Amino acid sequence: MNVIRAEHISKSYLMGEIEVKALQEASFEIKEGEFVVILGPSGSGKSTLLNIIGGMDQPSSGTVFLYDEEITGYNERQLTQYRRDKVGFVFQFYNIMANLTAEENVELATEISRKPLPVDQVLEAVGLGERKDHFPAQMSGGEQQRVSIARAVAKNPDILLCDEPTGALDYSTGITILGLLRKVNREMGKTVIVITHNSDIAYMADRVIKMRSGRIIDDRVNESPMAVEDIKW
Amino acid sequence: MVRNRKKSRVLKLDLMLLRMIGRSKGQFAAVLTIIILGIAIYTALNMTSVNMNHTVETYYRENRFTDLTLQTAAVPAQEIKTLQRIAGVEKAMGRTSMDVPVITDNLDERVRLRLITDRGEADDLSKSTLLEGKMLSGSGKEILIIEQFANARKIRIGDELKLQISGVQRTLEVCGIVANPEYIYLMENSQAVMPDEEHFGVGYVSEQFGQEAAGLPGSYNEVLIRYEANVDEEGLIKKLEDQLDVYGVKQTIKKKDQFSNAIIEQELTQLDSMANSIPILFLLVAGLILMMMLSRLVKRDRIKIGVLKAIGYRDRQILFHYVKYALAAGVSGGLGGSLLGMLMAGGMTRMYLEYFHIPLLRIEFYYSYLVYAIILSSVFCALSGLIGAKGVLKIAPADAMRAEAPKTGKRILLEKYPIFWRRLSFSNKMITKNIFRNKKRTVFVLAGVTVTYAMMLFTTSMPGVIDQMMNEHFKEFQRMDYNISFAAPISKAAVKDMEALIDAEIIEGKLEYPFELSNGNKKQAVSVIGISSDTTFFTFHDVKGREIDLPRRGMLISQNLSRLLGVGIGDLVRVNSYLPNREDVYIPVRGIIKQTLGMNAYMDLDTMGRQLLEKNVINGVYADSQDSDLNKELLPASNIASIMSIADIRAVYDKYMTMMVLSIGFMVAFSGVLGFSIVYNATVVSLGEREMELSSLRVLGFGKREVFFMILKENQIIAILGILLGIPVGKLMSEYSSAAFSTKLYSIDMSPNGEAMIMAAVYTAVFVILAQLATYRKIQRLDFLQALKNRES
Repeated sequence: MNVIRAEHISKSYLMGEIEVKALQEASFEIKEGEFVVILGPSGSGKSTLLNIIGGMDQPSSGTVFLYDEEITGYNERQLTQYRRDKVGFVFQFYNIMANLTAEENVELATEISRKPLPVDQVLEAVGLGERKDHFPAQMSGGEQQRVSIARAVAKNPDILLCDEPTGALDYSTGITILGLLRKVNREMGKTVIVITHNSDIAYMADRVIKMRSGRIIDDRVNESPMAVEDIKW
Repeated sequence: MVRNRKKSRVLKLDLMLLRMIGRSKGQFAAVLTIIILGIAIYTALNMTSVNMNHTVETYYRENRFTDLTLQTAAVPAQEIKTLQRIAGVEKAMGRTSMDVPVITDNLDERVRLRLITDRGEADDLSKSTLLEGKMLSGSGKEILIIEQFANARKIRIGDELKLQISGVQRTLEVCGIVANPEYIYLMENSQAVMPDEEHFGVGYVSEQFGQEAAGLPGSYNEVLIRYEANVDEEGLIKKLEDQLDVYGVKQTIKKKDQFSNAIIEQELTQLDSMANSIPILFLLVAGLILMMMLSRLVKRDRIKIGVLKAIGYRDRQILFHYVKYALAAGVSGGLGGSLLGMLMAGGMTRMYLEYFHIPLLRIEFYYSYLVYAIILSSVFCALSGLIGAKGVLKIAPADAMRAEAPKTGKRILLEKYPIFWRRLSFSNKMITKNIFRNKKRTVFVLAGVTVTYAMMLFTTSMPGVIDQMMNEHFKEFQRMDYNISFAAPISKAAVKDMEALIDAEIIEGKLEYPFELSNGNKKQAVSVIGISSDTTFFTFHDVKGREIDLPRRGMLISQNLSRLLGVGIGDLVRVNSYLPNREDVYIPVRGIIKQTLGMNAYMDLDTMGRQLLEKNVINGVYADSQDSDLNKELLPASNIASIMSIADIRAVYDKYMTMMVLSIGFMVAFSGVLGFSIVYNATVVSLGEREMELSSLRVLGFGKREVFFMILKENQIIAILGILLGIPVGKLMSEYSSAAFSTKLYSIDMSPNGEAMIMAAVYTAVFVILAQLATYRKIQRLDFLQALKNRES
């Protein structure tokens, strides 16, 4: 069953007097429970795509469906509700609140969601059970990213959108984070979409969508995804 | 460090808010202080005002304060009964009143006592309240003394008081100390600038003694009237004046014009206007600071806001999160301020009551003000917060995730002048650029310093203003040493007798009589003063400051009087005499003059005698004399009603000035708190915004002190500009206040002098520097490596 279906989505905006075409006629489908990697260099349009799927931005044309519901026609209020219930974000620079502890950061998300998972359980799952009372400044980059993942997962969303989740981390921490995302995908059954410019990460994906200059240039299923610990870069 | 924390039930956004307040506690405390001060002033002054109004009202009611006083020549006792029958009169009462000298051990001292008869009946008007001792027993040798005079002269029950009555010395025993609603503010007349409780008092004596002393057996020279409800005051006054015309009505004084009452009313009105204007100024400043802080905070928190939106928080939830910061300041400031204000209100009311000698205490706590105060400060702060944080709505979540594009760099105006620009050092160039780059902040600090300076200037100019007012009146406008009034008019030749009696360089005869001046339906009772056209004691200046002579015909009137009557040069003024059987006279206005104290009309002595009174008479003299025995020499003279020494008036004023220093101190502190908070907050916000820039400077090799001095210099330049701008603003404020404070009694010109400007600048600079020093710690703690590492602060 398709969790996301995008049909001919394009996004262009004006930069001064020049029209920038960030996304052109992108169409793809993502199945429920898939681990998808959207791969592309800087400026390829992958962040724009993620923002549109995540309900943070609207396309200039085309339609996006979550299951069978079109989200591209949503107004501001519906989009907020969509972000609240259906998607969880993980950012490159973690973007967790500096003046809240790990646990409080997760609660910040669960307080507004309709069907949250138990915070303690999620923190245990990401390996932060012992560090839940720490503030971000007292944690390493990897731990902060775990908080970010816990925050996204605890809302119990349909899909997890991860924007360069290992971009600010060293190799071994990056691998641990990818392992955690895989765990969320396999054990919790969440659809995970990772955008990255790191092509090695694509080896672990169920589906790889490649982008260049705002277009999808390849969309294929990876028949034999690699174990996370085997990935090298 | 990890602390065990109980699971918090507070919403996480609110928890973030509390911690945000904790992190910016210095700034928060600075704003809170302003709000607390503003609200405390609001609550304290309003409650004091209500308490005072109630107390005065009760005091007047319980002591049956007179609605109208008619000063007459001699009204027989039976006539009072006739007045009592006039419709609208609830009570008519006669009494005698006369001013007599008090004989003290120090013969150089001039002490005057107003002797008023007291029948001691329950339905008397303007009754006294006994504070100590007993009321008059009727023996005729007793006197009740007003509290202020008794305190000032340390008069005790049983003391004897020697009075010089019509040339004869009489001794009375003090049987009681009283307070009287007619003398809450104890002043002899409108010429006395301030109460001089040591030298002027009021004593109440038996009717028989008073009438004999005044030479009015069986008659009165004052009639007191209390109205029935809903009376037509003007109509009734007309009837009463007509009825008493044959006895000679000298002056009719309505309750609202009664000297003490008019001053109390004026004080209470001023209290009211202060209660509502000062807090608004404080709240405006607090609101501005909050606006600036929040708008900067929202800019700084751009990514955080984006993340919250990405998680699914709604715009209004996030907006409200920031507004709550301002609201927290508003609610806590409102609560703290109103509680403090309530504590202050009790003390303030007590202080006022003591100052005015009101023997009642009605302090009530009006809890409604607590609610009003909290609502007022909350609404003010919430609105400021909304305006400051509205930027939240503009942040699109997708954009917020990207780093903000740097601002386009531009050359500033000064760079177009290379001769100037090239001479600046690198750090001075940075300072100048920063001032121009962040215009909003510059304008905010500039406005803050300007307001602070203007308020300081207003405060520091007060002593100079009063000093100047006194100098203008007593040195430039009128220059006599003594103003001596006779009990009855006598021939002009008496000047010669006076010359023989006292050692004076110059003596000039005068006429000073109350008349009602009117133009159409505009009326005003004033003293018309007659002096010789070639007087050496008066110098008249017109409104443009040009010297003018006293004309032989017509009159000169003071500017405030011309405004009240609506007359200009060439207009005819109707002069209605209070003396019996006198026709109204029309006299042309020949000039309008500046007069700082009081409100009068001036005429040539002979013309005034001929047109308004009798030919060749005077009822007093002005004297220029260094004779310290003058009082002693004049004491036995039976026809002397009063001797006013200008030096005495100045001495009272000097005493008043020392009291004023304290209130000036308060005002300086209040203005300083405003200036401090504005500069401190603006600097802290600026430090937060420029963390990266300052860190880069530190990496380049700038020391902490150098960075601090750069910011210090930046603010100093703005502060100097603010002070310069504050001069015209302060002057405007003073001009406005001149108009607001000028009354029938004073025409205040509050233009600040050079000394006041310098003092205001020094005080402002002190508070600006203090605010800067408070931010030094923040620069000390600036972790420049961490700042450079962080993508966002």
